[in-house]
Amino acid sequence: MSNPVEPQQVQQVAKLARIAISEDSLAESAGQLNQILGYVQQLQAVELPADVKPFFGAIESVNAIRADENKPSTDREQILKNAPDSNGEFYQVPPVFK
Amino acid sequence: MDLTNLSATQLLDQLKSGDLSAVDCNEFFLKRIQAHQSLNAFVDVGENGSGSLAKSAELARTRAAAIDAGEIKGPLAGLPVAIKDGICAAGVETTASSRMLERFVPSYDATCVAQLNQAAAINVGKTNMDEFAMGSSTENSYFGPSLNPFNTGHVPGGSSGGSATAVAAGLAPIALGSDTGGSIRQPASFCGITGLKPTYGRVSRFGLIAFASSLDQIGPMAWTAEDCALAMNYISGHDVNDSTSAKEDVPDFTQGISDSLAGLKIGVYPQFFADGIDPAVETAVRDAIKVYEELGAEIVEIDLPHTASAVATYYVIAPCEASSNLSRYDGVRYTHRAEADSLDQMYMNTRGEGFGAEVKRRIVLGTYALSSGYYDAYYLQASKVRRMIKHDFDQAFQKVDVILGPTTPTTAFKLGQHTADPMAMYLADIYTVSANLAGIPAISLPCGMSEGLPIGLHLQGRSFDEATLLKAAHQYQQATQWHKQRPSMDQEVSA
Repeated sequence: MSNPVEPQQVQQVAKLARIAISEDSLAESAGQLNQILGYVQQLQAVELPADVKPFFGAIESVNAIRADENKPSTDREQILKNAPDSNGEFYQVPPVFK
Repeated sequence: MDLTNLSATQLLDQLKSGDLSAVDCNEFFLKRIQAHQSLNAFVDVGENGSGSLAKSAELARTRAAAIDAGEIKGPLAGLPVAIKDGICAAGVETTASSRMLERFVPSYDATCVAQLNQAAAINVGKTNMDEFAMGSSTENSYFGPSLNPFNTGHVPGGSSGGSATAVAAGLAPIALGSDTGGSIRQPASFCGITGLKPTYGRVSRFGLIAFASSLDQIGPMAWTAEDCALAMNYISGHDVNDSTSAKEDVPDFTQGISDSLAGLKIGVYPQFFADGIDPAVETAVRDAIKVYEELGAEIVEIDLPHTASAVATYYVIAPCEASSNLSRYDGVRYTHRAEADSLDQMYMNTRGEGFGAEVKRRIVLGTYALSSGYYDAYYLQASKVRRMIKHDFDQAFQKVDVILGPTTPTTAFKLGQHTADPMAMYLADIYTVSANLAGIPAISLPCGMSEGLPIGLHLQGRSFDEATLLKAAHQYQQATQWHKQRPSMDQEVSA
């Protein structure tokens, strides 16, 4: 992981994140990512007790459970109002396969 | 009648006594919002000249009239509140200052908004922010930056910069912000107001547009600690709609803030004054330490060795969580869609054009850090260091009740000063991110001025002990006048 991120790798990661990035901005993006990754590299040097457990959440509560009760959900029409495209009761999207 | 010198608590007293009607009070602030639009404190989107700000104003006027008519009653009746635009208010555009959500109208209120409504407060508008709360200056807003009322050539901080600008400019007596790495406290510091990030879990996140779910927390921003205590009484508590909200008892935060600080143990970590701190900030914070000694507190040196890694830890964990949270903006459900002839290309184009540069940078960074082969080295390692940071605080709070330091290393920087250098911007959060990583509450309050710009004092406390922070902040504000500094607004052209 000491290898700097190459512009092509930025393109690959952006594709995984489904973000279109223009070819001419790749070099700048790679430069900024390498600067940030270079900075966070210091985490590798932090001495940790062998048995340290990762801390993923700021409170470590037990599983939250509640009674399973029927309640009206948000109105479908209202939710679909925010959709860029819909058809009757459904979201509408461009074709998945050509 | 100038209401800008009154705190929210004083304003509420006037409303309750009947000296001030809800209509007059709201009209005063709505007019100021209109007159100071050049500060860009509020998000105003919408079509045909009837923007979201006009919509909020219309709803506020209706509510104020209903309150004066006695049709709506509550303990905060008539109190104007500005709401950060990352927090949903039913029927009012909620954009998180992103092009991606430019036309998004929530169908429900965030729990904190519903609680304030229940108390009969009045939402006067949605405040500008860094896009999806990612940033420290509001310069990442799709709608342009808010300006610091103390000097409009400087940033108000971020991401809750619009809320800070609104309070500091007297456009609203109190505002809600959200804080993921300092986004309430850093702008509060830059704008000379008081801002509280509650303990993680204290305030429901239901209806807060998610950035990094293990770090995000909603909190109040106002002139005084007493005002923050007032707001906390209404927005705190467990919520069935947020399984991470805590089932802790909620005290009356306004009770006990006048109690003596005698015997309070305040921890100071010498590294808070290390390289990079502006000498004027250091002097102001050291002066604040003397004030606390005079108030009877005992100053104790503490060690927080792992906080040196806090910014690095944060800039792994927050982007990882963001990359997951923001996957929902795919052009299917949330207003913005770029045209394309296949579904996959539609996702790519929508996210490519709907997100701004900083949001894309963090999604890519998070996706990279979580990808196969890198997860252990980045996310897992950062989460282990996060444990050590929490452990440092646990140890420190066995010796002290409060930890004191600067909120930010400098006063508000200039517009454009850090926009080309993401790392320099990230370091603006150096003193604030640890509290989010550990989940503890923290407050920023004004403690000085340097070259016309406010300086912030940072107090961190034990989990669910906001009461001690509020008491310590309130006592400081009884002994000093820094929270009464107001910007001179004549440099800004009124409409």
